[in-house]
Amino acid sequence: MSDRDEPEGIIEREIKMDVDVIEVDQEMDFENVSSEIADLEVDLMTEESSEDEMVGYRQQPGKLPFAKPGSGGKNRFSKPTNQEMIPESQGGKLTQPWGSHRHDGLVSGQIIGKPTALVDSHWKVTGQAQYGDDIRLPGELIGRIVRSPYHYARVLSINCSKALELPGVVAIATGADAANKFGVLPVTKDEHAMAVEKVRHVGDLVACVAAENELIAREAERLIEVEYEILEPIHDMRKGLDDSENPIHDRGKYHIGEANVQKRVFQEFGNIDEMASNSIASHKQNWLFAGVNHAATEPHAVVANWDPSGRLTLYTPQQVPHYVHRALADVLEVPMHQINVHRTFVGGGFGGKSDPFPHEMCAAILARKSGRPVRITFDREEVYWINRGRHPSRIEMNLHADEKGRICGIETDALIDGGGFASFGHVTTYYNGVLHTAPYEIGAFHYTGARVWTNKPASGAMRGHGAVNSRCAVETGLDDLAEQLEVDPITLRLANLLPPHSATITGFRVTSIGMRECLERVKKESDWDKKFRKMPLGKGIGIGCGFFISGSGLPIHWDPNKFPHATVHLKIDMDGGVTIHTGAADIGQGSDTVVAQAVAEVLGLPLDMIRVRSRESDTSPVDLGSYSSRVTFMNANAAISAAMQIRDELLDATVEITGAIRDKLVIGDRRIFAKNDPAVGISYLEALHKAQEDRGALVASGAYRTPPMGRTHKGAAAGLAPAYSFSAYVAEVTVDVETGQTKVDKVWAAHDCGKALNPLAVKGQIIGSCHMGLGQVISEEMKYGRGGHLMNPDLLDYKIPSVHEMPEVFPIIVESNDPEGPFGAKEAGEGPLLPILPAVCNAVYDAVGVRTAELPITPDRLLKLIERRCRKEGIKEPLELESPTLKYSPLQNVLAARASEHSQRDLDRRLDANRKPYHNGALFGLDPTIPPDEVDERWAVNVIPSKDYLTKPRLAGSAWRHMERRHRGDS
Amino acid sequence: MMRMPPFKLHTPKTLNDALNIARELSNEEIEFDWIAGGTDLLPNYKWHLNAKPHVISLSGISELSKLNSNHIGAMVSLHDLAKSKYTHPVLVKAADSIASTLIRRSGTVGGNICLDTRCYWFNQTEQWRESIDWCHKCDCGTEADCRVIPNQNTLCVATYQADLAPVLMCLGATIHLASVNGIRSMPLHNFFELDGMTRNVLQHGELVTHITLPEDVNEWKGDYQKLRQRESWDFPEAGVAALWRMGTKGPTQLRIATTGLESIPGLHLEEANNAISKWNGSNTIDTLADAIRKSVKPVQNTWYSPSYRKKMVKVLTKRACAGLIER
Ligand SMILES: Cc1cc2nc3c(=O)[nH]c(=O)nc-3n(C[C@H](O)[C@H](O)[C@H](O)COP(=O)(O)OP(=O)(O)OC[C@H]3O[C@@H](n4cnc5c(N)ncnc54)[C@H](O)[C@@H]3O)c2cc1C
Ligand code: SF4
Repeated sequence: MSDRDEPEGIIEREIKMDVDVIEVDQEMDFENVSSEIADLEVDLMTEESSEDEMVGYRQQPGKLPFAKPGSGGKNRFSKPTNQEMIPESQGGKLTQPWGSHRHDGLVSGQIIGKPTALVDSHWKVTGQAQYGDDIRLPGELIGRIVRSPYHYARVLSINCSKALELPGVVAIATGADAANKFGVLPVTKDEHAMAVEKVRHVGDLVACVAAENELIAREAERLIEVEYEILEPIHDMRKGLDDSENPIHDRGKYHIGEANVQKRVFQEFGNIDEMASNSIASHKQNWLFAGVNHAATEPHAVVANWDPSGRLTLYTPQQVPHYVHRALADVLEVPMHQINVHRTFVGGGFGGKSDPFPHEMCAAILARKSGRPVRITFDREEVYWINRGRHPSRIEMNLHADEKGRICGIETDALIDGGGFASFGHVTTYYNGVLHTAPYEIGAFHYTGARVWTNKPASGAMRGHGAVNSRCAVETGLDDLAEQLEVDPITLRLANLLPPHSATITGFRVTSIGMRECLERVKKESDWDKKFRKMPLGKGIGIGCGFFISGSGLPIHWDPNKFPHATVHLKIDMDGGVTIHTGAADIGQGSDTVVAQAVAEVLGLPLDMIRVRSRESDTSPVDLGSYSSRVTFMNANAAISAAMQIRDELLDATVEITGAIRDKLVIGDRRIFAKNDPAVGISYLEALHKAQEDRGALVASGAYRTPPMGRTHKGAAAGLAPAYSFSAYVAEVTVDVETGQTKVDKVWAAHDCGKALNPLAVKGQIIGSCHMGLGQVISEEMKYGRGGHLMNPDLLDYKIPSVHEMPEVFPIIVESNDPEGPFGAKEAGEGPLLPILPAVCNAVYDAVGVRTAELPITPDRLLKLIERRCRKEGIKEPLELESPTLKYSPLQNVLAARASEHSQRDLDRRLDANRKPYHNGALFGLDPTIPPDEVDERWAVNVIPSKDYLTKPRLAGSAWRHMERRHRGDS
Repeated sequence: MMRMPPFKLHTPKTLNDALNIARELSNEEIEFDWIAGGTDLLPNYKWHLNAKPHVISLSGISELSKLNSNHIGAMVSLHDLAKSKYTHPVLVKAADSIASTLIRRSGTVGGNICLDTRCYWFNQTEQWRESIDWCHKCDCGTEADCRVIPNQNTLCVATYQADLAPVLMCLGATIHLASVNGIRSMPLHNFFELDGMTRNVLQHGELVTHITLPEDVNEWKGDYQKLRQRESWDFPEAGVAALWRMGTKGPTQLRIATTGLESIPGLHLEEANNAISKWNGSNTIDTLADAIRKSVKPVQNTWYSPSYRKKMVKVLTKRACAGLIER
């Protein structure tokens, strides 16, 4: 009997049941009642009271009467399982074109895949969310930071005596109060709470003061006298490659010559020697990318408080509370267990709140000195001083295509400007290379990267970390290659994609790939074929793709085989609500919601029965933090594994009560029943209470750890991820050819997130990414004036696109069902940012026939290029220019044929459980089952530059001219 | 958080009271500022830019809010100006382009005309300005030089970036001032003084009461064109207003004014008159646009480079004049 075939009479009778009478102590037939409840339609429920009395539990003698639990949750009645939500593999109606998934059996049809409002949204929209600066503790002091007015100087002395005499000043601290170094990466700890010897950029911290109010604190700031010896600063990143008398940091024997090179990378993969000679088309471009800042709505703020027992609680809007926890212990010299890091609501992070910060140390130090809570809130300008935004970069991009339209070589040289500190820079230097080795199959990859220190605020990790700029350079280069080959750029891409379950040229293990579907969808929905190279002057359309890590394979602080990346604890007591303890930091991306969804789905519960406790390190198991787009993938996997343990216990209890066969039991909405005979079953609460007998609350702990993967060359771990996301965007623009102003009109944005656990959040991420990427491509820029000053550290002059600049975005979700992702999910938080930049650049070319190589494409810059084109073509007025056109060469058909062949290949691989390995190189005729360098001696893996290379290095490559001091024989 | 230095706020209800408070403070040699909507003054105070210990608010003085076709009170909000049926369409366009919806609700006509000049080296926090050793316009007693045109130490070349003035000047506006010494009025273009610090002819204790427009304003047609990075918030990097009266054979009168390019808005009478005397359709507009471009001298202290702004003056002028040849 199907759910809806129930005779009406039964429904009518049952909806009269009333909770008010449930305490009546009578016997009741669990199975029948609950199965009937399960069959009810929710919308038929009313609060009418009934004559029929609800029967209660059988009570043991001596026990107190126990409330009839109903089915738990706000709705008293269980809903029938919606078969549209249950995967085909489980007999449901949810089609699975990409095959089944290991979590299919856990799907209860509750919440996964449904557009869901974020669980913390009510707090936010009613103004009750407490962000960093909303924390008010009794007796608080206000902290202010004294910052360097110089780009680079030695601090000779600090005299605080006048400031200390000012009534209302309670404590002052300087570098002398905290000698220990810290930094986000254990390999590059180079920061102090405040300058110990030198200040490294305008705005670097020198001292801090805590006073009764801000006015006094500001006055005290002025009274602190600092004596400096000014040093010669470096502003141009290219200068950072040279030897210096006063390198910005001294790394002892690991220092690279006497230069300001913080990190350098050299990598060669594939058939390097023949890439140029095999090519029939080559692209070369020198890019200049301005630095950009996350510009999160909430400026940084922190409150520190030492409680009477001598423990520190630090309230801070952090993306990565665990690293702050470690850094605080190092700097304050107290054991970690004496510190509670309390993550407040985070008003946007985007990478800008993921380092442990000196001002967090300052607050803790001032609070310890003064014995009172200390609150520090940044002015917007201070957000720019702490920065960690995307690196200003100079990228040389060379691409080669052979006569078959294959990408036979990518040569990238990336010099990135790290500013004053290391931050995440070690990783960024790798990411600028390795993250563009996919989604295309390539013949050779040559990468040289260097990160230099300069006397600017430190660059760091920002949404799309390390991948954004070089991706822009690659994707615009492909557009140029297509132009040279006279083929359609989308066809060119479709004919060169790696298949699912393959290895990239650097040895990354790629599992699910929805790249092809992304490209096909945006092509169709944007009406590409009717528009590309066919629109009038000033109107253009362009394509760009993206590839991004879904979690980084390497936990920075430990051996991946040692501890997990993420751990989730569950606690369920008699009320039936589930408390999730997780350290994953919800920064607005919705990680609390995702973890709640995962648990709710497995246990068959509505979201209102789940509460997430993710704030305090005292109660949360360690999570590595909200970066690398790792949280959904890792934390939801950990949550699922914890929930599975609870599920097992509930199933055991059900078997005990009903005698049903365990294998046949499934979980629906707050009800556990036999799949073959839904009448046999019990409510969730009944099962729970049974499971709790003799032991009380159920608890479970689940963890996630990445599988072993990747190769073994130096740097092989950088860019390794348990899964990768893919995306393709088409942008349509209007360029005013007389002013150079670009308006992005529409964006079709397809993103492969594996499985949209919450489509609403995925769309939000796609649209938000478009906005953020749009800023970088059209107007955002940290502008350094003559003399090296940051000219626009405020939100009027730092030009974030307004609502008027925002295009209409059509988000398209592609679900490639990742085998290891939770319910098939991958990331959607960073990858969607990448394609917007090149899509816009390529659309601008389509509109006005000029290729930009400098971001942002502000009108003044674009106009210069337009004028240059005019001069070249002997045209007086830009309005007389011709719009670019394209006539296909015979290669177009070759590529189209290959693309359709590959499309079948990919489908076959997707569904074939016994597929053979596929290594990058097969497209070039190599045996796909073996890594290319093992089958063909021309295919190299090389991470040290040859002497030959060093005779003519590229810009960043020239960092290798220096010898590390320890190899020079210095100590 | 960024705090303003504390000040005492006076809230007179009549113009007389306001002027009297001003006189009393002046007699005691106490410095003060007028405040209208505060959308310019308060951001500057937050940056600790020349903040004064006393501030006199004009917001309670209802006599300054009168608005009709020929009279615009200083306290008329930009929003009301833009939405009023009395307002000339080109003035509506300019007013509607200012800042953002929210700011237009507070910002006033008087504040817009008296807008402080802006400069990258000046509109910054105290800490920032300390890092460049201050500048002439707010030197904190250091006698610092101008950072844009150094080694002169007399002139400030900060840019006047308000939108209403060029349109009002083209419409032939007269500005009316009041102080305890009495009232006076003058053509709007005579109100401004070429220095980023002095800015205009207002004496200490004097204020703008209203603007009047000639009877024939509605016979003038035209356009206002504004250059900026974003369509909201951003101040004009250049602005060109063009207004004309049409005869049977073409324009009989033409006025062009610019803003966002120098320390004061510019009324380009000579160039416009030349164009009228040699009127020859689009060719004249090209020549005129070129002449306007040549007549402005932007400096490097705003978002776009001076050379780009200058180039754009030509494009904006052509666009503002497009209606002259549309039939
Ligand atoms: C984000 C942002 C964007 C902006 N964008 C623009 C823009 O695009 N275009 C533009 O033109 N402006 C812009 N502004 C500036 C400003 O908001 C407007 O110009 C507004 O009209 C100023 O009016 P107000 O009443 O707020 O002036 P206030 O801040 O009250 O005053 C400004 C100055 O005028 C003086 N003053 C005010 N009224 C009188 C009076 N009656 N007599 C004598 N002196 C007086 C004050 O003492 C002060 O020096 C922007 C401001 C912000 C914050
Ligand atoms: S123009 Fe010169 S004096 Fe005027 S604000 Fe700018 S730097 Fe200061």
